[in-house]
Order: sequence, then structure tokens, then C-alpha cells
Amino acid sequence: MHMAEIKNIPDEKKSGLDALARNPLWVGLAIGILAAVIQLLLISAGGPEAYGFCVACHTRDVVNIAVNDIAGTKLAVAPLSQNAILPVLTVIGVLIGAWVSARYYEEFRTKTGSAASYLWYLLGGLLFMIFALFMGGCPYRMGLRIGYGDVVAFIGVIAIVIGVLIGIQVATKLAEREG
Amino acid sequence: MVLAGILSKETAVIAVPVVTLILGLLIGWLGQRSGFCSIGGFRDFFMLKHTRLLYGYLALIIGAFAGYLIFKIVFPSAFEGFFWLMGKGLMPVPGAPANLTVTAYIVLALIGGIAVGLIGVLLGGCPLRQVVMTAEGNVKSLCFVIGMCAGSVIYTMWVSGWGVALLKAAGIA
Repeated sequence: MHMAEIKNIPDEKKSGLDALARNPLWVGLAIGILAAVIQLLLISAGGPEAYGFCVACHTRDVVNIAVNDIAGTKLAVAPLSQNAILPVLTVIGVLIGAWVSARYYEEFRTKTGSAASYLWYLLGGLLFMIFALFMGGCPYRMGLRIGYGDVVAFIGVIAIVIGVLIGIQVATKLAEREG
Repeated sequence: MVLAGILSKETAVIAVPVVTLILGLLIGWLGQRSGFCSIGGFRDFFMLKHTRLLYGYLALIIGAFAGYLIFKIVFPSAFEGFFWLMGKGLMPVPGAPANLTVTAYIVLALIGGIAVGLIGVLLGGCPLRQVVMTAEGNVKSLCFVIGMCAGSVIYTMWVSGWGVALLKAAGIA
């Protein structure tokens, strides 16, 4: 999980900008400010507020609008995505941006797993999405909402911390059992 | 008062996909370089006392607050609800199922948050990290992202309605 700290970067690709991009502190600050810029630019198209960046909700908007177009359903999305000519494409941008970056820095590695692990991740992603949408966002939108002054979002992040602590216990137990 | 940003409504509805795509490209690059992860931040802090990722998540909250505050001064109509607690009290910013009570939103935040934290730790990261790892060639993360897409449709079609019905039956919605 600490790959970023021990990356071997070719000399010709080292730069001051890359040193900043590798520091989560600056990255977090940038994402927070960019989310406010997004609201400044796009809020006329529709709400909700504090919606500049969310991996769960923005994925929902793209998927549900695609399903609506293909299957003729009327699945709900955020007003912003409903009113716009196309929904928020943030997550598609993240995929492309991260892929280009991984290719450029030669860090793209195909990592496969067992069939069982694929099933667990599929189920995990499915449940993660459902619970995140009940909460009204992924951990990032919860952070934006806290910055916007939303107390329920703060309670949500406290709950995430509790979930993480339970998860650490479960993971430790599982590791012990497997020897 | 209607929320209004710098762009007019006619321009904004066209700008939405373009601006968010650019935002995504930027965050994808930054996320790939830094290994940025919210749930990973809490996990590393509690397991290893590492603060690197945790400070990143805290910086996101501070950056958002500072951005909203400064832009609200410059362009108030785009940030009508800020600072939310002072105008709207405990009712959350819209996004979760609509028209519930404060108690119901707190219950949803607690249940949702615990589940999100638990799943995130067991599967090695928050959704941003999973999307970035997918782009780095991790097939397990790709399965997670596909699961998220399926979860979106299942939630919107059925599960959100069931959840709200359950809250109403329990007398807290």
C-alpha cells in the first residue's frame, strides 16, 4: 500500500511537479479546492451542492443515464447530470488520467487474482455502492460535505472510522486463521 | 434564491461533461502518483501509525472548506447553502434518499459509513483507489468497479425504496 513512497522513477521523468503530485497532502488540498471550483462553474446546471467530486454518486449518474438511454428506464440521477447534455464524466476522466499516468511512469502492471477473489470484489463493489448511496456519497463527497458544514456527513465519517476499526479486527482474525 | 454559478444555465448544461472530464483526468493523474486513499488513510493510521494518507484526506476537507469560503465571498449565489449548519441546521445536504427525518439520515450515515469503512478495509481501498488501481492493471479492482456499476442500478431500482420503507416501518423516517 506504500508503493508511492518506494517508487523508482526514471531520472528523466523526475520533476518538481511530480514530487508535489506524489504527496497526498497537496493532492487532497487540490481536490478540495477543485471541488469548490466545479461548483462555482457548474451549479447553474443543477444541484446538489458540495457535489464537485464523488466516486460513488458520479459513477451512479453515468451508469444510470446510460441504462436509461439503452433500456428506456427512468433511474434517478443528480439534477446536475439530468439537466446536462451528458452526465458528470469525472470517473471516466479518473480512469483515463490514471491509465495515462501509469503508462507514462511505467507503473502499469496487469495483476490478476483467483476466480473467487473476483467474485468477492464484485460483491464488495456492489455492496459498497449501495451503502455509500444510502449515506449520500463516497468518503470524498462526505469530506466535501463536512467542508460545506454538514453535520450528518461528519457523523458518516465517524462511522467510516468505526467500520475501518472493525475491518482491521476482521482482517487480523482472517490472517491468523490462515496462519 | 436559485443557485447560480459563473456560467449561465445554458452554458453550464453543455460544460458539465467537459469540465468534469478535465477534473477527472487531473484527479486520475494525482491519484495515480500519490496513491491517494481516504479509507487507506484511516487504516494506515490505526494499523501502522502512518499519517501520510490520512493528512491527505484531512487536507481535502480543509481545501474544500477554504475553497467554499473564499468563493462564497466572491460569488455568493453559487454557494447559497454554505455554511450549511448555520442556515439549514442538522438536515444534510441533499444526495441521500429524499424527504426523510434528521434521525433517519443519521441512521443511514451510521449504517452506510460502517459498511463502507469495513468493505473498504477488507478489499484494500476506497472507490477512488479502486478506480486508479483498475487503470494500473488490477483485475480485482476492475471487478470492484463493475460491482459498483451493478450496485448503482440495483440501488436505484429496488434497494433505496426498500431501505426507506424499512425506516418508515421502524418509525424513524
